[in-house]
Amino acid sequence: MGIVEIYEIIMDTLVFIFATNPFSPWIRGVLGGLVIGAVFGGALVMVYLERKFLGDMQSRIGPNRVGGRFGVLQLIADAIKLFTKEDIIPAKADKWLFIGAPIVALTSGFLMVAVIPFDLLIIKGNEYAVAVSRMDISILYIEAVSGLAIFATFMAGWGSSSKYAVLAAFRNVAKMIGYEIPMGISILSVAVMAYSLDIVEIVEAQSSIWFIIAQPLGFVIFFIALLADVGRIPFDQTEAEEELVAGWATEYSGMRWGLAFFAEYLHAVVGSFIVTLIFLGGWNGLPFVGNLYIPGIFWVIAKTIIVMMLFIWIRAALPRYRIDQVIDIGWKVLIPLALLNLVWSTIIGLMWA
Amino acid sequence: MTHEATQITSPPKPSEILLHLGPQHPLQPGPFLLDLKIEGETIREAELKIGYIHKGMEKVFEDRTYLQILPLTDRICYLASNSNNDVYCRGVEELLGIEPTDRAMYLRVITNELCRLQSHLLGIGEFTTDVGFLTMFIYMVREREGVVSLLEAITGSRLNHNYARFGGVANDLPPGYKEMALKTLGELKKQVKSHDAMLSSDSIYLRRTKGVGVLTAKEAGELGVAGPPLRAAGVEYDLRRMEPYLVYDDLDFKVITQTDGDVFARVKVRLLEMLESIYIIEQCLDQMPSGPYKQDVTPYITRPKSGEVYPRIEDPRGEMGMYIISDGSDKPYRFRIRGPAFATAQALPPLLVGTYVADVAAIAASMDSCTSEVDR
Repeated sequence: MGIVEIYEIIMDTLVFIFATNPFSPWIRGVLGGLVIGAVFGGALVMVYLERKFLGDMQSRIGPNRVGGRFGVLQLIADAIKLFTKEDIIPAKADKWLFIGAPIVALTSGFLMVAVIPFDLLIIKGNEYAVAVSRMDISILYIEAVSGLAIFATFMAGWGSSSKYAVLAAFRNVAKMIGYEIPMGISILSVAVMAYSLDIVEIVEAQSSIWFIIAQPLGFVIFFIALLADVGRIPFDQTEAEEELVAGWATEYSGMRWGLAFFAEYLHAVVGSFIVTLIFLGGWNGLPFVGNLYIPGIFWVIAKTIIVMMLFIWIRAALPRYRIDQVIDIGWKVLIPLALLNLVWSTIIGLMWA
Repeated sequence: MTHEATQITSPPKPSEILLHLGPQHPLQPGPFLLDLKIEGETIREAELKIGYIHKGMEKVFEDRTYLQILPLTDRICYLASNSNNDVYCRGVEELLGIEPTDRAMYLRVITNELCRLQSHLLGIGEFTTDVGFLTMFIYMVREREGVVSLLEAITGSRLNHNYARFGGVANDLPPGYKEMALKTLGELKKQVKSHDAMLSSDSIYLRRTKGVGVLTAKEAGELGVAGPPLRAAGVEYDLRRMEPYLVYDDLDFKVITQTDGDVFARVKVRLLEMLESIYIIEQCLDQMPSGPYKQDVTPYITRPKSGEVYPRIEDPRGEMGMYIISDGSDKPYRFRIRGPAFATAQALPPLLVGTYVADVAAIAASMDSCTSEVDR
């Protein structure tokens, strides 16, 4: 029995469950658990890839001791280390803000996961999205929920009563305000072209042509804004080690720091999923595979991993901007270009329709 | 630029924060305290406080015999240990009235230039991490590994070499050294050229470095800054050319200068100087005469005539001088070190005023200061 058959059996079972009672909270709960586990695993994969792939690019080995030659268990060793470390809350810290910040950061990441579809199943003419919840405005919801992460940064920065942390929080707020706008406008451009704010319909609209080809400028703007949003090089001013020690997480230790660190990777993974879904065609396969049946979920995950690799590649290849240059780029370059792209996509979208 | 400008005189206003960068901070090569008064991201005043690892070296040297001092000069700054050995030996040789043998002079030039190579490689590497470019740091450390191995093959150690002796050097080149060195250096030359091309074309790197932290030739002269920061400001000041010591007279090399005096120029000077150093070593390996690498009689118990000397050489970071007064006994009467890093460190706070917090990392690392040498 091959992998394809196993997948079909699993999908048939899921379809059966969906078809019998698609709104049962139990089914939603189980599916939610699975999806959250999958994205959690995705973040772990990203941390591992980051170390190994970055190591290759920097001509070093990366993790190579724990769990055999490729260090696959390194993350577990790190997690054990973080759990056993002393949990320090600074005496002058605002305790509840300090404790709440990593929780808010993780919550914002997991809330985004809720609407990410992995595949669209069509049974007896009915469409069933493989997602915890299918909303009509899911892309708007993601945009809104991802904005919550900024509260975590600011809570941590203000609550830990450290000058480095508060400077990092200021930087993050300034950066987010500048970059949420071009990001939102490029999402709007996609929505205009797809005639919908629902991610599932946006992906379905890409069955003939991916939006990366229909509006390449929009993809570039969205990708740059996403890099800034998840705080990766060249936009990692909020945790610039040589300037602000560890940025807003300076005062955190042990597993609290681990959660803050993990939340960032979670945001990066969810960001990769969104790029895949709204620009890279989601579960629409490449044309050259022909009639070969490849599950949609495979395409989504494969494309997401490619986007993650792109993140890591950019990190290896570029230095860091200064914060004033970042703000300049956001307001003076990206927003006008995003508006231009909106005009472009409106015209093309109308012609297409 | 006056000295007063480098001190924080008043407590911060409500819109300002006093940020203590140090004594422990990821930016620093060693402990020092940089107090910054910042308003938002802009630095209003800056003050540098040093002395956290003061070792009292000059006083210690007055209580040691001349030979005992020699290994301690390594510890002034581990990245320049060969230069420090060399300048000290030249001082004592002048007091004793002896000259190193011809071959020893070439060997000292080779080790000095290798020392400059590894210091510049690490300096540029640290600088690139400070602008967030970790990959280049790791490439630089990889390249440095080859250079350090070349030094290890001659001197037997990787950091504190203790190689020069009064009137000679500790040992000759190992067999097959020339081929090994030419191979490593040829590879290094290629890599340095490619890194230079990469750093000169990266737009983010250019934005972070061009026009940032400009140290003009006049200011550098007033503060006693020499070496790459001064040459980056357009002054052709290189002791190897101006006061040729050892055999630099017989060697062909260019004194690298840039005109802007900014962060980019300082790093560029170091990159291009590495190519010149490689060229110098290649010439030395070709021209080196055979013969003894040390004097027949090494004076173990050294009692120079009374007198005073001030030898100085071109350290990787600037001008290194040691002022030695002898009273005819086996220990120096007075010892004073004029290090290059002290001058570059005191040039730092005035440069920071008016820049952004992120530029602190770029400017401080581009000066390539060494806390160990500043504090001595």
